[in-house]
Amino acid sequence: MSARGFGSVLSAGAVVGAALGFYLVSLRVASERAALEDVETRIALTQRDIRLLQTEIGTRGRLAQLERWNVKFIRLAAPNADQFVDGGFQLATLVAPRKTPAIEAPVVLAAASIPPSDNQSALTGDGAEAQPAPTPSRPVNEMMHVASYTVPQPKAAATAPAKPVVARAEALQGKAPAKTPPATKPIKTATSDPLAPLPGAGAKAKGSAPAASAVGANPKSKSKDSDD
Amino acid sequence: MNAPTPALVARPERLRLVGQRRQILAVMHQRLMLGMLVYAGIIAIIALRLIWLAAFGDHAGRKGGLVDLTPERGDIVDRDGQALARTIDAWTIGLQPSKVIGNKLDLAEKLAVLMPEKDAAAYLAMLRSGRNFYYLRRRAPPRLVSAINALGEPGLALEREPDRLYPQTSLAAHVVGFTDLDGKGNAGIERAFDERLRDPAQRGQPIVLSISSRVQQALEHELGNALATFSAIGAAGVVMDIHTGEVLAMTSLPQLNPNDAGDGTPEARFNRATLGVYELGSTFKPFTVAMAMDSGIIKSMGQIYPCPGVLNAYGHQIHDYHPFNRPCSVAEIMMESSNVGTAQIAGQLGKPRQEAFLRKMGFLDKVNVELKERGRTLTPGSRWGPFETMTVGFGHAIAVTPLHLATGYATLFNGGIYHPATLLKVDRNHPVGAGHRVFTEETSYKMRALLRLVVTKGTGKRADAPGYRIGGKTGTAQKLIGGRYSNSINVTSFAGVFPMDEPRYVIVAMLDEPKATPETFGFSTAGWNVAPVVSRTVSRIAPMLGVRPDMRREPNMAEVLPYVHEKAEH
Repeated sequence: MSARGFGSVLSAGAVVGAALGFYLVSLRVASERAALEDVETRIALTQRDIRLLQTEIGTRGRLAQLERWNVKFIRLAAPNADQFVDGGFQLATLVAPRKTPAIEAPVVLAAASIPPSDNQSALTGDGAEAQPAPTPSRPVNEMMHVASYTVPQPKAAATAPAKPVVARAEALQGKAPAKTPPATKPIKTATSDPLAPLPGAGAKAKGSAPAASAVGANPKSKSKDSDD
Repeated sequence: MNAPTPALVARPERLRLVGQRRQILAVMHQRLMLGMLVYAGIIAIIALRLIWLAAFGDHAGRKGGLVDLTPERGDIVDRDGQALARTIDAWTIGLQPSKVIGNKLDLAEKLAVLMPEKDAAAYLAMLRSGRNFYYLRRRAPPRLVSAINALGEPGLALEREPDRLYPQTSLAAHVVGFTDLDGKGNAGIERAFDERLRDPAQRGQPIVLSISSRVQQALEHELGNALATFSAIGAAGVVMDIHTGEVLAMTSLPQLNPNDAGDGTPEARFNRATLGVYELGSTFKPFTVAMAMDSGIIKSMGQIYPCPGVLNAYGHQIHDYHPFNRPCSVAEIMMESSNVGTAQIAGQLGKPRQEAFLRKMGFLDKVNVELKERGRTLTPGSRWGPFETMTVGFGHAIAVTPLHLATGYATLFNGGIYHPATLLKVDRNHPVGAGHRVFTEETSYKMRALLRLVVTKGTGKRADAPGYRIGGKTGTAQKLIGGRYSNSINVTSFAGVFPMDEPRYVIVAMLDEPKATPETFGFSTAGWNVAPVVSRTVSRIAPMLGVRPDMRREPNMAEVLPYVHEKAEH
């Protein structure tokens, strides 16, 4: 009897519990939806801000303003017809340093007992033929004489004969001036090709070739243009 | 014997009382039940409503309307998507004198410091007037707004209102147009597409113009330089795609700032490119030659015409700027821009054919473009006789807009098909306007070499941009001042096409009343002032438009070169 009496209470409790559960689910959904709407609102506000900022940037960087700056300070001009290249290959020919047969080393090594033909090749700077070092019959130090336009400073004179083969190989690759600082100056007089770039200029052209070609100030790029 | 006890016998009134009480009780129960039902009903309704709201309703913190990003008025962008006109929320500073609570004298002084366009006395007069509202500043900068806000005066109203902003300021001002204070389109695209821009269903999508900002800037800058150098009173320019009719750039100088259109002079607001009509002179000659070729009058560029120094025709005299005084070929007539030669060709053509061609090219109607500012062509009208046919042949006695001229050149060089000009980008939503054939393809092809010749050897040498193969024609027309043609005041123009071996773009530049300078050796003809504009503009815009400069390509000059009498070098 008592169980029957509680039965209704229990069922009422169950109904209330279920209703509460449903309500909680619904509440949860509503709060999620609210959070989503918040995010959406924030997105919309951010988009509005982006639009405003874009408008401001566009206004400050308007073309008329850029043009005014260009006329006054930057002074860029439209490229000429011959500053356009046909493709990657032509561009590469502009950039790659030309293999110059110039004797970049101011130091000419002459061996006392070496046949004149070898000497000749060293003068014309034919790298491939000059590669095999003269077979010394006597110690190298004794055979080598240093010939230069500059008055040889004792330091340079001391280093050059010390390892002649290495110095020569380096000289052919254009690295010698870095090693012997006083020898950089006479390059102008010693080179056979006046158009050949200085080692410093060559390195520069390598780094900033498009700019150099656009300005057209680089003698090397000019000579290339005339080739085409 | 004994009287019956009253306890045993209910008194009738008592009995009646019991019956009444029962009745009353029943009624009371009924009423209570009814009241309870009413309450239960109300509670049930509330509960149901709560459940309904919990299940389907909105929550309290909902912010409606903010998510809507549609602008008040649609954007206008160029073909690359760069904004040319936008609606933003701008701060407006208003003054409500009746709500001012502080010291009016102090306030007036502070306002005069913050906004120096009026002095303190003027502000004080406004504060003391009985008016309800004044606009102190529209489109106020944020710094000023915060400074005004810091005054803490309730009579100063700070509000946000939608405002039309043109981020590129004067760029393409005559194309884009401007709006009035109420946001209604007053000129240009703003006026032509006003309804579309305001339609809530469509304004979310911007109007994409065919204008390219960079091309427009180049044209405006170079024309502006020429305007200043030659002290011209005005200038106009058009760059157009000849196959689609898309206008890539169109300008009219002096320039107008649409952000402050009210302050522009009427001169600046006047669109010379579509509204102004000018006698454009010799730039018409290629049309006459093409008409004659199409009609079978000119069979070869080597056809010879007598070219005396002065041609007497119908009681008038026609002069040449560079007189030949010898027989000359069609190629030479074009190269040296001979009026005498062209007049004879036009005379052979005759008025009916000339008029029919001009009509097919759209020259006799208002120019076909979306703008509402369109000028009416001036023709000889009823006086269009044989002599007028001759003058129309070399571009006098007929006044058209520069855009007409650009459309005509596009027709002549795109294979002979007329397409209406358009300021909207041609894409899936906006196809190329319906065209019709005017010239034959062969005529169109042959004209290439002829106009290239003008630039390589003739009057237009200064229009050449190395590698870009410009072909075109100069035009110097005397201005009609007080009914007489002036000898010194000109309208100079150049109409050109590039690259001439495969024409893609037409460029028209015009200067109104340019003056001679020492650099031009006292000349004020088109070859000296407007042709260099074309050269500089093309060398800037052609790479942007994908035209590769190439020194080795040329149109087929063998069509014309054999017929040019080479002068001995001097």
